[in-house]
Amino acid sequence: MIEIGRLCVKLAGRDAGKRCLIIDILDDNHVMIDGQTRRRKCNIDHLEILDKTAKIKKDASNTDVVAALKKIGIEVQSKEKKEKKEGKKRPRKAKKKKEKPEKKGKTSRKEEKAKKKEQKQAKKQKTEKKSS
Amino acid sequence: MPRGMQKSRTLRRVFRKTPGSRNVLHYKKRKPSKAHCSSCGAELKGVSRERPYRTNNMSKTEKRPERPYGGVLCSRCTRKTIKENIKKEKT
Ligand SMILES: [Zn+2]
Repeated sequence: MIEIGRLCVKLAGRDAGKRCLIIDILDDNHVMIDGQTRRRKCNIDHLEILDKTAKIKKDASNTDVVAALKKIGIEVQSKEKKEKKEGKKRPRKAKKKKEKPEKKGKTSRKEEKAKKKEQKQAKKQKTEKKSS
Repeated sequence: MPRGMQKSRTLRRVFRKTPGSRNVLHYKKRKPSKAHCSSCGAELKGVSRERPYRTNNMSKTEKRPERPYGGVLCSRCTRKTIKENIKKEKT
């Protein structure tokens, strides 16, 4: 039953309920899996073996596994999310550009504060002269 | 005279060591009951058993196991339900 290309469902852990293919057989109890789950070593007790198989080579790459799963009728969401993240980053960059002129304003405020301090010091010196 | 609430056992007693190495008795509210599996009734493991003022500050992964039906079904029952779902899809 357990062979390279066999379709399985993971039963344990955070990938439970997800479909995967067996890539490699490591020993009597352990196999390598990939697909909707993460690419990882797995105990056979944590897998429910289904009746379908896909034709893949030993240690097949992730893209090959995804293509093989699509033929069986199982879609894998993996690289789409990364593209969405890039899309989110773009407006953030625009926001940073908006912040830059504000920073310039802040620097001018600092200069204003420094000017005020100088003015205060000058006033103090005047008052001291008057009192003396 | 001790207060009435300190004589009854509604509050649980906690021994705290002060910075001056003195042992002090604190009275705290009791923890909620353990979480149970909704199908077989077994005690759930990995589900935090604290008052809400502590669980509110905990992360989601600290409160329940990170798997489908985590915090609702025990691990045996999740395996059963996943297998049953596969059989239902086939038919
Ligand atoms: Zn159960």
